[in-house]
Amino acid sequence: MIGAIGPGIGLGIGFSKAMEALGRNPEASGTIFVPYILGLALTEAIGIYCLVVALILIFAGG
Amino acid sequence: MPEEEAGESLIHVVIKAEVLFNIGPFEVTNSMVGAVLAAFVLLAAATYFEGRAKTVPSRMQSLIELPIEYMARLTEGSTSRWRGYVALVVGLFLMILVSNWLGLLPGVGTIGIVHGEELIPLVRPAAADLNFSLALAIVTFVVFVWWAIRVNGPIGYLKELVGEPRYMAPLMFPIHLISEVSRLVSLSMRLFGNVFAGEVLLATMLGLTTAAVFVLPLAFFVPAIFLVLELLFGAVQALVFALLAMTYITMAIAEHEGGHGSDDTEHEPTPQEHHAPSPA
Repeated sequence: MIGAIGPGIGLGIGFSKAMEALGRNPEASGTIFVPYILGLALTEAIGIYCLVVALILIFAGG
Repeated sequence: MPEEEAGESLIHVVIKAEVLFNIGPFEVTNSMVGAVLAAFVLLAAATYFEGRAKTVPSRMQSLIELPIEYMARLTEGSTSRWRGYVALVVGLFLMILVSNWLGLLPGVGTIGIVHGEELIPLVRPAAADLNFSLALAIVTFVVFVWWAIRVNGPIGYLKELVGEPRYMAPLMFPIHLISEVSRLVSLSMRLFGNVFAGEVLLATMLGLTTAAVFVLPLAFFVPAIFLVLELLFGAVQALVFALLAMTYITMAIAEHEGGHGSDDTEHEPTPQEHHAPSPA
């Protein structure tokens, strides 16, 4: 659960910055989208690691 | 708590793919069935549209061309050598997309073989098995290391790993090596974690709502909402995997071309680039 806090904050910051950039320059939505998705995926990966470890502990560790 | 016990018996979560039957020493698991099914769907679509593709596309054709064109256009913008790996990127995207969406069809987790007490589902979404996502990640890993070696040469690639101030090599070499390998781990873990977590989420939601079956509409609407969510996630994960594969290959190539990787588009029209050292 603690592992979800960090990525949560990170995703929030990333999303808010993307929206800010979109608000400043609406035409750039196409160019912002790809780096945005990549950044979200990289941030989210940490949360996913946490989840995988938790799931392994629950289901495989017995 | 009685409710929890009822819920636990309803939710069937196994982290490993279950073995359906054996062919010799070769174990056929249910996630392999899912992967083969996804491959067959793609093959069927490909053979169906092979002769039928027209310049002015029909509705069906444009529906199928839409994701392919989108990924191809994204890849086209990456480096000047995009033709060398566009097939891999589009293929990864389509395979993961189809196998993720196949897993959401009704009957995928419920139709199966009864083995003793337990029901073993016949089909399991392929990416909910670490073997599948790891295999895709290994393919990507081999391809981007191969591109790095092809563009920089084996010695150039080693120099890349050693880093710029040569005296820092004992420290930087292991770090670079680990960062290369961690891409493999993170690619596979991300896909597996997302799809498997999606499965668990759907199963939990179904279990919760069936436990509260006296509020009848809930049992239909709540899983439906999460199914739509999973539909979105399946597409996003396929996009992310393909995009990351593309980015890693782009970085492997662009480290040579642009120096810092991000400004390769500026260098694209220069004539020297087309005379870049040809592959060994």
